[in-house]
Amino acid sequence: MTDVHTPRSSESAEPADEATGPFGQEDNGEAGGGTGGTAVPPAAGAGWLLWGWRQLTSMRTALVLLFLLALGSVPGSVLPQQGSDPSAVQQYYVSHPWLAPWMNHLGLFNVFAAPWFAAIYLLLFASLVGCVVPRTFRLVGSARTPPPRAPRNLARLPQSASYPSALSPDAAVDAAASILAGHRFRLRRPENGGRPGNGDAGHWVAAEKGYLREVGNLIFHLSLLGVLISIAVGGLFGYKADELVVEGGSFADTTAALDEFHPGRLVTGSDLAPFRLTLDKFTAQYFTSGQSAGEPESFSAQVTYAATPGGQQRTDNIEVNHPLSVDSVNVYLIGHGYAPVFRVANGQGKVSYEEATPFIPANTGTLLSDGVVKAPEASLGFMGVFVPTAVMTANGTLESLFPAADNPAVSLIGYSGNLGMNTEVSQSVYQLDTTGLTKISGSPHLMYQGQTWTLPGGRGSITYVGLKQWVSLAITYDPGQVPALVCGLLAIAGLLLSFFVRRRRMFVRAVPAASGAGSVVTVGGLTRSDASGGFEDEFASLSAELAGQDRPEPNYQSETGA
Amino acid sequence: MFRAKRRTVITAAAVIAVLLAGALAVTLLTQGKGNASDSMVEYPVGQRPVAPDFTATSLTGTPIKFASYRGKIVVLNFWGSWCPPCRNEAPMLEVLQQLYGSKGVSFLGDDVADTPQNALVFDSSVHITYPSVNDPGYAIVQDFSQVVPVSDTPTTVVIDRTGHVAGLVLGTVTYAEMTKLLSYAAVTK
Repeated sequence: MTDVHTPRSSESAEPADEATGPFGQEDNGEAGGGTGGTAVPPAAGAGWLLWGWRQLTSMRTALVLLFLLALGSVPGSVLPQQGSDPSAVQQYYVSHPWLAPWMNHLGLFNVFAAPWFAAIYLLLFASLVGCVVPRTFRLVGSARTPPPRAPRNLARLPQSASYPSALSPDAAVDAAASILAGHRFRLRRPENGGRPGNGDAGHWVAAEKGYLREVGNLIFHLSLLGVLISIAVGGLFGYKADELVVEGGSFADTTAALDEFHPGRLVTGSDLAPFRLTLDKFTAQYFTSGQSAGEPESFSAQVTYAATPGGQQRTDNIEVNHPLSVDSVNVYLIGHGYAPVFRVANGQGKVSYEEATPFIPANTGTLLSDGVVKAPEASLGFMGVFVPTAVMTANGTLESLFPAADNPAVSLIGYSGNLGMNTEVSQSVYQLDTTGLTKISGSPHLMYQGQTWTLPGGRGSITYVGLKQWVSLAITYDPGQVPALVCGLLAIAGLLLSFFVRRRRMFVRAVPAASGAGSVVTVGGLTRSDASGGFEDEFASLSAELAGQDRPEPNYQSETGA
Repeated sequence: MFRAKRRTVITAAAVIAVLLAGALAVTLLTQGKGNASDSMVEYPVGQRPVAPDFTATSLTGTPIKFASYRGKIVVLNFWGSWCPPCRNEAPMLEVLQQLYGSKGVSFLGDDVADTPQNALVFDSSVHITYPSVNDPGYAIVQDFSQVVPVSDTPTTVVIDRTGHVAGLVLGTVTYAEMTKLLSYAAVTK
């Protein structure tokens, strides 16, 4: 990022370059480098707009916005996000019932889609575009600019040398030009052939090499724009979604089916890739010994999918960092848990509910999970915990020793009454509003697989029938991802070019020797930046070659481009 | 000098704040609604999308071919027994079924993300007599979402006698909306 609102550089001040220095005003640093344009606001009128634009596109503003963007991303990393871990967000609501709604209002559970984040991003986008576009044009101009005229006194340059030549000044310069052309320098000769009468008097040749540096700069800036455009394309045409699927369950990629759906601005429901997916089986392996005991070793979700309705059925294993790719959409495995199967019967013994019910991990280490069971037709509701490897401690609390389901158990508290599910208001399937409900038992009821809890008062029963697992899948479509990657790589390549290729200039002047025969040739050289070093050696080598050889008439580029 | 620098910083900060507030306002104003409000869509004759055909199994295990409804106005309700707004509107749809059933209007439910057991218990509890097909993986929803915006549950789609979608209601449907849509669907020329 550089500021573009500084005075024009040497290209527009050509007559001054000979007097001020071989690199003109650019010698002081990067072209266009500045501190941020005028900070003094204009009196009134359209000038305010111009001034505001200059402020926005100044380096200072861009840096502030970049800092704000980084700062704004922090909550996205620290707090659970709807897009990546909706169950953790639900858990946050349970753990912080008074704080979570406020944070939700501020968009802190979906930071990267929050309006304030988008505002920072859009401003940064405008700032970067306003900075990079003019700079790109200037770089194009810089890359096409011929070398400047040779300074009068080459001995004042950082590198200089002189040698006597038996040739006439004109022939000596021609020989030097031939050698420099052989080294692929771009050449410039006096416009009038060195005749006296203007500033070009004398016999000289100016040579420049290292234009790849500007090309690299150009690639970097264009790639930066490409990254921004790619991100914008992804934001407009991409989408992200989350879906929780229980073993044996399936879903179609359609908005109504998705637990969370974050579409790009120009995405509609019919734009979604019409694939269908069934979770056949989920397998989690955990280390059973050593320091990593209890930590996950591998996760694998075996799925069957079809890219289109009625299309060919395929199978795949989705693993961590191994997403399923279907129709340009990636399906990532981002979470898992247990879904105990419950059967609830009413007071007359009629089954009112039988389903695998996902419980959400409250402890990701042991997978002790929270969940609720709602059987509105039996007027019964339950909330409790699922414990994969249950143990009852000495003080009577239920704990999980291991995340695998080695000794699965559930502990439930029962409620009876109207669950309030016949209203217009939607409810979370993971929460039970106990307002107006009657608590059935004073203490939680522990059940192992196959056991039935017959509720007191003839209210019915609940049976812990079996156990399934669920996975949380993140579905992402980002058409800007590949272009952004390509542009990012190009930007790095361009940056490396601009770092390691040095723009260096060689000047040769020849004057008649004092003896009247031959000439004295002075060679000067300099480089704008020598990050990779080595110019001294290159200059010495070239000087030696110039001093030691004569060459025939070279092809050179004159000031007029001939 | 120092005062000038301070003024520069203050004005730059003010400009950033104003621009940020402006961009925030624009973003908020142009942002789509997080939860689509209930809304009705009507398709004029000639612009009505063709309703996708499907074959599915009813909650009781009977095969149902949607094509067999051709020649009737069909009210297709996407619902689930786990969904409070769906449960809330179901008795009203049953009343309409009683009123319009003899007038060439058929009602069909599409029970999504549900088990037939849970759905049948609910239907029984509120005396729903019209059939529903079992659609645990939203396959039929996906088919319809390719032609009409079935973006949430519940959604009620009305299909005319020629098999074209006459209109739909996203979210909870009201009695007035249904009678209006049924009248609208009756017009096919």
